[in-house]
Amino acid sequence: MSASALADDLALSVYDPATAGNDAGAPTAPATGGEGEPHGRHREARLGSTDKELKSGAAAADSVRTAPGTPRQRGEVMDAAGGSRNTLPRPCHVLVLLNPRGGKGKALQLFWSHVQPLLAQADVSFTLMLTERRNHARELVRAEDLRRWDALVVMSGDGLIHEVVNGLMERPDWETAIQKPLCSLPAGSGNAVAASLNYYAGYEQVTKEDLLTNCTQLLCRRLLAPMDLLSLQTACGQRLFSVLSLAWGFIADVDLESEKFRRLGEMRFTLGACLRLVALRTYRGSLAYLPAETLASRRGPSPARAPQDPADTHVVPLEQPVPPHWTVVPEQDFVLVLVLLHSHLASDLFTAPMGRCSAGTMHLFYVRAGVSRAMLLRLFLAMEKGRHMECHCPHLVYVPVVAFRLEPKDGKGVFTVDGELLISEAVQGQVLPNYFWMVSGYREPPPSLKPQPSPRRKSQQMLPPSERP
Amino acid sequence: MGGSGSRLSKELLAEYQGSTLTGSLPSARAHRRFCELLPQEHRSVEESLQARVSLEQILSLPELKANPFKERICKVFSTSPSRDSLSFEDFLDLLSVFSDTATPDIKSHYAFRIFDFDDDGTLNREDLSQLVNCLTGESEDTRLSASEMKQLIDNILEESDIDRDGTINLSEFQHVISRSPDFASSFKIVL
Repeated sequence: MSASALADDLALSVYDPATAGNDAGAPTAPATGGEGEPHGRHREARLGSTDKELKSGAAAADSVRTAPGTPRQRGEVMDAAGGSRNTLPRPCHVLVLLNPRGGKGKALQLFWSHVQPLLAQADVSFTLMLTERRNHARELVRAEDLRRWDALVVMSGDGLIHEVVNGLMERPDWETAIQKPLCSLPAGSGNAVAASLNYYAGYEQVTKEDLLTNCTQLLCRRLLAPMDLLSLQTACGQRLFSVLSLAWGFIADVDLESEKFRRLGEMRFTLGACLRLVALRTYRGSLAYLPAETLASRRGPSPARAPQDPADTHVVPLEQPVPPHWTVVPEQDFVLVLVLLHSHLASDLFTAPMGRCSAGTMHLFYVRAGVSRAMLLRLFLAMEKGRHMECHCPHLVYVPVVAFRLEPKDGKGVFTVDGELLISEAVQGQVLPNYFWMVSGYREPPPSLKPQPSPRRKSQQMLPPSERP
Repeated sequence: MGGSGSRLSKELLAEYQGSTLTGSLPSARAHRRFCELLPQEHRSVEESLQARVSLEQILSLPELKANPFKERICKVFSTSPSRDSLSFEDFLDLLSVFSDTATPDIKSHYAFRIFDFDDDGTLNREDLSQLVNCLTGESEDTRLSASEMKQLIDNILEESDIDRDGTINLSEFQHVISRSPDFASSFKIVL
């Protein structure tokens, strides 16, 4: 199958679930409860069955839980009326989960100064909930009555989005819960998701308050887009989901002396990061992956293929060797391995300039041992503008993949998933295409895999779709 | 000058404990390593405690060889007027600051002095540029270009120069370094 045919196929399944018919992963209508809208009433009637699930938590827990990633019953929640499944209603009511310690303690202040005024003008009413500690958001979301909100707005860093998505997937009603639209407002270290959405919306790369304002405007405009989810399995049988990235090695290592965890969001090269170079070491392990190209050539012509179960399509249990059609990187010393679902690793690290991945694909980067401190420094400096691939570093390898497996060989591996610490002997994962919704800035299909320099808008004014370049 | 005379007695070691910067007990191993740098015939206890070892010799120690800041480290701990040699006491001071027992405060204080290449009490752009050159190497193909260097130093100052005077003073430095998870591992020398 040609790449463009595949893209067409994916584009169909991404943007028009009604006609795709055979895609197991496309999201279905977000279950909103908009007031005064015909769609709202229509959905409420169907929500009756969901209501019962949400109310009787105990009963739901007793019921057989379908494994996350199995194909959902698409007929039940499809919005036959069409149209507004890709936008939030107007007016809408959102839950804002805010970490007051984010943004150097200024997150709450920033909410009132930069976010609230815009929301007020845009008929977005909100309820503010402050998170008090790690996993607080996760617990809240697990237990929350989601019908109360049209969207969950996360104002913090990538770690909080990670908690919210995992909290949703941990619910007994995860299949409907994961359809609740999310929004990322950056206020913390590590705002790669917000920066990526900013980039996809066609805005110039900005940071801090400018990025916050851009993302708030996206929320006010209410457009939603489907997002991929990375489903991960660890050696001890733990299952978790990533919205952005998994990293191992240089980016992820924990300093065991100080027990201070190198957070992904602080990747920008500064004094502390320079010290990291002083203690530069390598990490021994083996890596295997399923290239997107291999998958495309194996699938053959569509559209008659049977719906596939996303959970089991690509990965086999960790105890078994990887399938024969995977690519194996023999055991060796690495400096870092990174799988990345989006364009940015931090608000000023444009890590994947090669173009947005098509649904179901993610970026795999790895750096082999032997790279000099100077080259590594140069790569990260160039990454601010997305020019690191032009360094032609022979130790840096890039492949678009749909699944991977990583097995550290010198003790337990230290990984960072969306900036959060994970320690495991081995980890593997695959992308679940179009698994949840986020407030975003576009409706057209994502750019092709060829890098396309497009004029970046300097102003924060968002042009209506008809006037976009 | 007998065989046993070249090893520090426990009493002498204890005497040295009081004089090192961090109060930790210097190891007999440190004394052995120091003596190995002296000429064969001058390795008695009395002589070793008076002797000074040149910078080149200290730099040949494997534990220091790989450190990009080895020259500055030696200069900072040298008490000779021309700062080109280390006594055993200097050597002990160096080891104690780089050991596990030194507090982060002490380590960061000395790190600041090490990075202050012009010894003027603050880290200016020139100091930072020399710091980076130590990391990358100074040959044509490894050193950063002028624009890369500017970008990096701008990043560093943006993060660390709180009073925006264009330099990093000791307290600004300590503030940044104390938050770094990499500081301990990059400032450690264990024989």
